[in-house]
Amino acid sequence: MVKLVYSPQWFYGKDILIDIVSIFVLLLIAFFSIRYYNIKKNKNYIYLTMSFVILAGSFLAKILINFNVYYKLIETQDLGVVSAVYQSMKATHSIVITSFVVYWLAMIFGYYILYSIYQHQSLSNFLFGAYLISAYTYMAYPDYRTFHITLLVILGLITALHLKRYLNNKYLATKLVAVSFGIIAVSQVFFIFIDWNIHFYVTGELIQLIGYMGLLFTFIMVLKYGRQEDKDRYHW
Amino acid sequence: MAGKRTRIDIIGDMLASILEKGGKIKPTHLMYKSNLAHGQMVSYLDELVEKNFIKKMKKGSNEYIIITDKGCELVQKLREIKEFEKAFGL
Repeated sequence: MVKLVYSPQWFYGKDILIDIVSIFVLLLIAFFSIRYYNIKKNKNYIYLTMSFVILAGSFLAKILINFNVYYKLIETQDLGVVSAVYQSMKATHSIVITSFVVYWLAMIFGYYILYSIYQHQSLSNFLFGAYLISAYTYMAYPDYRTFHITLLVILGLITALHLKRYLNNKYLATKLVAVSFGIIAVSQVFFIFIDWNIHFYVTGELIQLIGYMGLLFTFIMVLKYGRQEDKDRYHW
Repeated sequence: MAGKRTRIDIIGDMLASILEKGGKIKPTHLMYKSNLAHGQMVSYLDELVEKNFIKKMKKGSNEYIIITDKGCELVQKLREIKEFEKAFGL
């Protein structure tokens, strides 16, 4: 049995808005990344674009699930008939489960591609890793804790790699990217414990929003400072 | 140690060198500033002229290379890309 609703009622729809913001940030960065690829012809830009587009697709699947579930719950509450919710949920059950699996796989695979960019691993290693985490995620369904723990591990590794880069180059933008991914990683900790307290879901969503806003801020800063000539602009 | 420069890196270095000199430079200065052999530089210059990133101008007995608006835009775009690479570790 899959539990579909973790959000308090007052938060219905607001999490969808947060996910829309995340999609916007991801697609914006992906769009510029593919434009840069056309100039630089560096394959890492393609991988970054793929990663961010897959992550955006994952959020889209999550929105579809939430929209579907919230709509049915609100509709049924208006009717005041408990059995109606059961019937409608049963009708959409397979669609919701498929969307859930897509959401999970895309989210983990998207971050895994991002992690792989920094690891410079061979294609065979990448494919093997991709197979393992896909199989693991599929088998773990519907245990959401396993999903969020896996995300926490991958995001933790991505954050550590960016922090290591920051210690070498001391660029503010690198630090901000590390902090943003670190914040998104922290949001997973709250998602792991949503069964304990329903407000952990709200906290996790808000922290995740801060993380994506951090990425957006960093990207705007990169665009802004990329147009200046001063070489030491990041050494504030 | 920095890795081998790609074609676009070399073009970026050449255009940035011209901009550093106020948008106009002599070919020999450009050759030294962008660390290129004469043959390589001629090949790159031909390509840049063809793509309208630079133009050549004669002033007395001297020849000058001038960066165009399109060339300035490319330098700016490459700077933006460099910042993006640093930030996201590409």
